[in-house]
Amino acid sequence: MSKLIIKNLYKRYENKGKKKTQPNDFAVNDLSLECEDGEFIGILGPSGCGKTTTLRMIAGLEDITAGDIYIGDQRVNDLHPKNRNIGLAFEDYALYPPLTVYDNIAFNLKAKGVSKDEIKQRVMDIAPLLKVEDLLDKMPISLSGGQKQRVNIARAIVRRPGILLLDEPLSHLDGKMRQALRIEIKRLHNEIKCTTVYVTHDQLEAMSLADRIAIMNLGVLQQFGTPMEVYDDPANEFVAGFIGEPPMNILKTTIIKHENDYYFTFENSDLRIIAPRRYYDLLSDGMQVKMGVRPTDIYVGGPDSKGTPVRVAVYEDLCSERRIGVRVGDELVMMITEDDTRYRQGEMIKLEVNGEKTHLFDLNTGNRIRSKK
Amino acid sequence: MAKIEVVNVTKRFGKFTALNNVNLEIKDNEFFVLFGPAGAGKTTLLNNVAGIQIPEEGLIRFNGEIMNKIDPAHRNVAMVFENYALYPNLTVYENIASPLRSPLYKKDNATVDREVHRVAELLRIDHLLERLPSQISNGQKQRVAIGRALVRDPNVFLMDEPLAHLDAKLRHYMRSELKEMQSSFNTTCIYVTHDFLEAVSLGDRIAIINEGSIVQVGTREEVYYTPCNEFVAALVGEPEINLVDGRLFAENGKYYVEVLEKGYLLPLPESSGIIRKLVDSGVNEYHIGFRPNNVRYTFEKKDGLLKGTVYSFESIGNKAVLIAKIGDKFVRMIAPNDLKVRLDQAVYVELPIHKAIFFDAQTTRFIGTSDEAAIYRLVQEQLSKGVQ
Repeated sequence: MSKLIIKNLYKRYENKGKKKTQPNDFAVNDLSLECEDGEFIGILGPSGCGKTTTLRMIAGLEDITAGDIYIGDQRVNDLHPKNRNIGLAFEDYALYPPLTVYDNIAFNLKAKGVSKDEIKQRVMDIAPLLKVEDLLDKMPISLSGGQKQRVNIARAIVRRPGILLLDEPLSHLDGKMRQALRIEIKRLHNEIKCTTVYVTHDQLEAMSLADRIAIMNLGVLQQFGTPMEVYDDPANEFVAGFIGEPPMNILKTTIIKHENDYYFTFENSDLRIIAPRRYYDLLSDGMQVKMGVRPTDIYVGGPDSKGTPVRVAVYEDLCSERRIGVRVGDELVMMITEDDTRYRQGEMIKLEVNGEKTHLFDLNTGNRIRSKK
Repeated sequence: MAKIEVVNVTKRFGKFTALNNVNLEIKDNEFFVLFGPAGAGKTTLLNNVAGIQIPEEGLIRFNGEIMNKIDPAHRNVAMVFENYALYPNLTVYENIASPLRSPLYKKDNATVDREVHRVAELLRIDHLLERLPSQISNGQKQRVAIGRALVRDPNVFLMDEPLAHLDAKLRHYMRSELKEMQSSFNTTCIYVTHDFLEAVSLGDRIAIINEGSIVQVGTREEVYYTPCNEFVAALVGEPEINLVDGRLFAENGKYYVEVLEKGYLLPLPESSGIIRKLVDSGVNEYHIGFRPNNVRYTFEKKDGLLKGTVYSFESIGNKAVLIAKIGDKFVRMIAPNDLKVRLDQAVYVELPIHKAIFFDAQTTRFIGTSDEAAIYRLVQEQLSKGVQ
């Protein structure tokens, strides 16, 4: 168990034939992260965001262009991967086909020259945590995908690594298996409290597993926070759109001042939403920004509602919840409701938005505009 | 536009029976979903309707006319593929017009122009007609692909997992978009999916297929509230329904079911008619289904509730799934996403017996439900259909 510190980490792959150097040539661009001892960190982002490159630099499988990585108190930049005291499990299980499950798990310990008795003890300790105790005599070929990944993870943690690195370990599994193993990984971490870095493109996996999530895009860290922080308080438009399903509705808006209040207005739409007062000192008449609001913070108003009348564009009955979509200009804005009322496409409803739950983003940079209060 | 009938259709590949005596009647203008796990036979059935494959036994009929010997091109079916397969070098206009320029459907320019504009307006892409596929969004590409299929008024519109290749976020968005467009299709649609949300969102009716056989055909309410067996119950709903063992128990004229723990009795609601059904079924041992969104929990000790421990807590965006371990059984339930929980802490669980679905433990077949609201909804639905 160790602390992990990443300081101003850069990675640039040499582009053969292409000499031009641009800022976005960096696969990882000035990344700094500090993970507490025993913490579960998710690195989340779309493909190409630099998450796997970061993991591989921590593991020592990839050269570092600039910056430092510390595991515990030791700077590991120049350490060979085998001396970094890490456990590694990838998306592919890569078990040794001619070895039994037991021998697969024991392999690294044998290579290190750990005594037979101690190996047995350690394998037997780990096997029940990953529910592979009944599989120890089997060959990898007879295992399901989920079982193989359990063995793979057992192999990574049996050596008691300072840091466990997991790269999309659930991506190859089908829905049910993925769900089941996700739960087991969380419970395993709760049991052994090994510092873990978990790379995924699936926001749901990151949200449900990680203590804190580092969200990356184009090599740059966008936000580092707990799941509820990145959900409730996104740093920018990218994070707001990436976290949550259905995603936050994000619309371009023009601010209009009417009497003493500010309103959000939208192109080709009658929708007007009163702006929260905490933003008033930041707003001006005619200003253009982006406004984001989660589907759960939009409601259908009752008969006395002062909400804007809009036409239902989509009504989806998903059994345990219902989704209503309306067109605001060209954009489809979704809301979620659990009430039982049925709506028909084309029906008029009154749209109410919880203005207090709206977020503002800069039109050009996408950065969050925060009220001072 | 056509009524599609599949009559006693069996399709074999060597020794493997892909479709086993399938019967379906798809109404004119209906949006019909074929829903089932991978390898169930959904795509094979679609291919038999399209004429890409010919059944060994049984008939395919369009408006009563037998289609078995008609080749695919002359069945006037339109297919939408996974990747939309737009011509990248043609404008949106030319993509939509392309079927009308084919030798089989060849139309004069004035007709082509009229039809392209009609479809484009319907699908709200009339402002994009001069653009190339590379210049429009994914949602718009889907619209163009659908426009191209609709432009020649097909007998039936076949869609084979059109959203399956998309990432989760885009898939949800495109499903909503598809739902919005649906009312403008104006033709019979058969839609294949393994995704429960697509099935319930889009389907007027849903046929659930497993291992080459139709398991149940019904509206979303029918398959959700009155699934014909445990397989359907588990397939329809996310997170999956909880199925727990239960036994019927009568005392002093009152009826109970014993669930999960010995001596833990839940009184059966008398008004729902479920007691009658259970007694009449002659079955004593059940699997009782409880939907996760109906299960209640508390962390305060409370008599009369089942005591368990928190096995898992996962936030899934706007809500969370909590799994309680009770003895050696697990119960899934929905919780708020910002709940403060520790794994393995005590939790007290209430199973909603007034919203339970009962299955025969031996055969896994549906016996009845105690959910009066669901029954009411189903009756209303039947009545409203009768009026039409």
